Amino acid sequence: MSTPGILAGIRVLTLEQVHSLPWGTSFLADLGAQVIRIESVDHLQDREAGPFPNNQRGEEWWNEGGNLAYYGTRNKQSLCLEVTTPKGKEVFLRLAKNSDVVTDNFRPGTMQRLGFDHASLAKINPRIITLSSTAYGHTGPWRRAGSRARTVDAACGMSFLTGYEGGPSQRASNNYMDHSTGNNVAYALLLAIYHRNRTGQGVRIDLAMQETGISCIGPAVLEAQRGITRPRVGCGHLWKSPHNVYPCRGTDRWIAISVWEDAQWTALQDVMNDPAWAADSRFQTTLGRWQHRRELDNLLGTWTATQDDRQLMRTLQERGICAGAILTAQDLVADPHMQGRHYMQEFENQAAPHIGTRVYAGRPFRMPGVNLTIRHVATLGQHNHEVLRDVAGLSNEEIEELAREGIISSTPKLGETAAESE
Amino acid sequence: MSGILSNLLVVELAAAPSGAFCAKLLADQGADCIKIEPPGQGDLARREPPFIGGEPHPDRSTAFLAFNTNKRGVTLDLAQAAGRQLLVRLVKEADVVIESFPPGVMERLAIGYEALKQVNPRLVLVSITYFGEDGPYSNYLGDDLIAQALGGYLYAVTGSADRPPMGTVLQQMEITAARNGAIAVMAALLHRETTGEGKHLDVSVMEAAISTPSGLIHPYSFTGRSPRRGGGDRNVMDGMHLPTRDGEVTLTTAGTGGRPMEVWAEFLQEPRLLDPKFASRQLRLENWEELRDLIAPKLAQWNNLDLMRETMARGLVIGLVQSPDQVVNSPHLAERGYFVELQHAEVGPLKYSGPGFLIDGANAMSALRAAPRLGEHNEEVYCGELGIPLEDLGRLRGAGVI
Repeated sequence: MSTPGILAGIRVLTLEQVHSLPWGTSFLADLGAQVIRIESVDHLQDREAGPFPNNQRGEEWWNEGGNLAYYGTRNKQSLCLEVTTPKGKEVFLRLAKNSDVVTDNFRPGTMQRLGFDHASLAKINPRIITLSSTAYGHTGPWRRAGSRARTVDAACGMSFLTGYEGGPSQRASNNYMDHSTGNNVAYALLLAIYHRNRTGQGVRIDLAMQETGISCIGPAVLEAQRGITRPRVGCGHLWKSPHNVYPCRGTDRWIAISVWEDAQWTALQDVMNDPAWAADSRFQTTLGRWQHRRELDNLLGTWTATQDDRQLMRTLQERGICAGAILTAQDLVADPHMQGRHYMQEFENQAAPHIGTRVYAGRPFRMPGVNLTIRHVATLGQHNHEVLRDVAGLSNEEIEELAREGIISSTPKLGETAAESE
Repeated sequence: MSGILSNLLVVELAAAPSGAFCAKLLADQGADCIKIEPPGQGDLARREPPFIGGEPHPDRSTAFLAFNTNKRGVTLDLAQAAGRQLLVRLVKEADVVIESFPPGVMERLAIGYEALKQVNPRLVLVSITYFGEDGPYSNYLGDDLIAQALGGYLYAVTGSADRPPMGTVLQQMEITAARNGAIAVMAALLHRETTGEGKHLDVSVMEAAISTPSGLIHPYSFTGRSPRRGGGDRNVMDGMHLPTRDGEVTLTTAGTGGRPMEVWAEFLQEPRLLDPKFASRQLRLENWEELRDLIAPKLAQWNNLDLMRETMARGLVIGLVQSPDQVVNSPHLAERGYFVELQHAEVGPLKYSGPGFLIDGANAMSALRAAPRLGEHNEEVYCGELGIPLEDLGRLRGAGVI
């Protein structure tokens, strides 16, 4: 039986788009906060992003995408409210007056233009916590720069360090920065709530993706100040060998092996039935293996190519050798460890019944007694009435008028098509 | 404002970077973090190259220095009963204990959650392991590379389509697991405020890897295809790194109002970009080499910072591929006050990365101290705070307990 949500009673208004901020606030929603995602019919890119069953958009595509369920409106409420209209602004301010947290990921200046910046909100709600999540922060010469997670992967130093051994720089990921930033958003908001519980004071948080990214490469930041250049090593290592990925039997099957002590190397030789090449004196010390790592990788890879990746992983691990098969998403869904951990969540989105049951990654931590699964996924504008009535204190008549005037909606505009997609 | 977590005592028993970074996240927000290391060699990170000054030295590893700011350091041998007794005395006062031993190690030493809960029911114990506390792989050996492999990251994310899997640098799966751990700790502390109860948190590095890319498991479930690496290959306008006069840059088609080639042709003054063979994303992928050869010489005329300023002024979105050196010397970050300078007895002053957020306009990182030297705070903690007489400390030192 679950305990009531840890954050029950905390209300978050979030003007969020794309990835990092919705990812961050989804943790708060999982923990029981009332997270009200404010959407606009003019900006439905996230609902257009899918993924959709077999890449086909259904009739109610705006409620059917997998990203929505995984983080977009996961355990949140949806209020589709045009906050840039005069009436929309007024409603937003009434909501903010009765909320604990307001978050946004507009470019710096937008919240101020709308009259939603921290100083304005603090006048009507002195205990308010605000968080703005941007690429480069609200101050400094780059504050107005737009971004993608990939461009910030570059700007923070991560991409420069990433690449195959001896090769050019390469982005680490299309969205690692989004997730790191989203995690940092969740951490910062929980810190702010903790702080307010103790002191009664709200805070203004200016959170930057670039800076979160730099905090991920802390050692390289120190090295740069003393003239130390960190080489690109692919899956290699600065002193361990073998430490790389090696081909296995089948198409595009691989195993990662990491050896850090002589006993592991001896065991590996034994598993290979002591081939003559492995007895080479150059490979009998950690330093020797590392110095001759390319030759060692090639020889070892010739042997692993005859092996089944997962069988080899089990064999090596039984012998105390650190190894892991390189798994695909399909492998992971069927993986015995994942099943043993009950990690994946099979979820049927009641709001989009025809897409059926789909599998989602679980949360990467567990807290006994706390349910961190997807419980519901908000459809566009699903909570318009409830939120406007209960939080903004509007009457049914006022709400109906907003709907007539198109200030609140629950369907896209007619003829809405996919906008520029990344 | 003093650190938000300045009322907390955190005890770190981390044997891996994930636990050390998780404890650092709390320490940097003001928590009093006591890092417990085995006597003699200390945290294994102390042996990781490179070292400030070049030569191996336990207090000069950049990996150790970066992940242990704002902590106090003591040594303690948990294999000895006297060591475990001292640990229990510290845990009695602690709010949070962070450990990253393989599953079962704490229980075998009789300092598992059930035992620690007896002495401190309000304790939040965080166990960060490569594969989680249970399941068939829980006793496997792991490191960041193996977590990237088993976590689906290597296959799907970083490398090129026609090359072997390749992953991220500097132990990002451990870092991500640490951030997950910090979220879990804060949730558990908020839970404790209302219930008075502690919790045991089970954080997995492999699961950090799986849940971190937005598109791994559910895209497979929706489309039947496992996401595969290589998304940036051949993608001149949206993924590739291209050389500038003093560095590299990655372009995007964002901010062009749906007319990317028109806008970039004008900006780069290269009308041949308007050729119909570059008119769609698909065509640009097919003719990528030709496209690159038109764009590269134009970009090579720019310096990075000028290019950033001018594209920004026009609302175009690019990313400078900055080296760590360029990051450290960034005028933007200097104006933001991002780096925090800390003094260290062995390596002198260095600028350290901040937490990534400003609170009320100020860098929220506590700047109390750089990483501790091995056993630096033994006397302060054991004598000053646990009240052990100095002569007993000598005996414990002689017995190798500290």
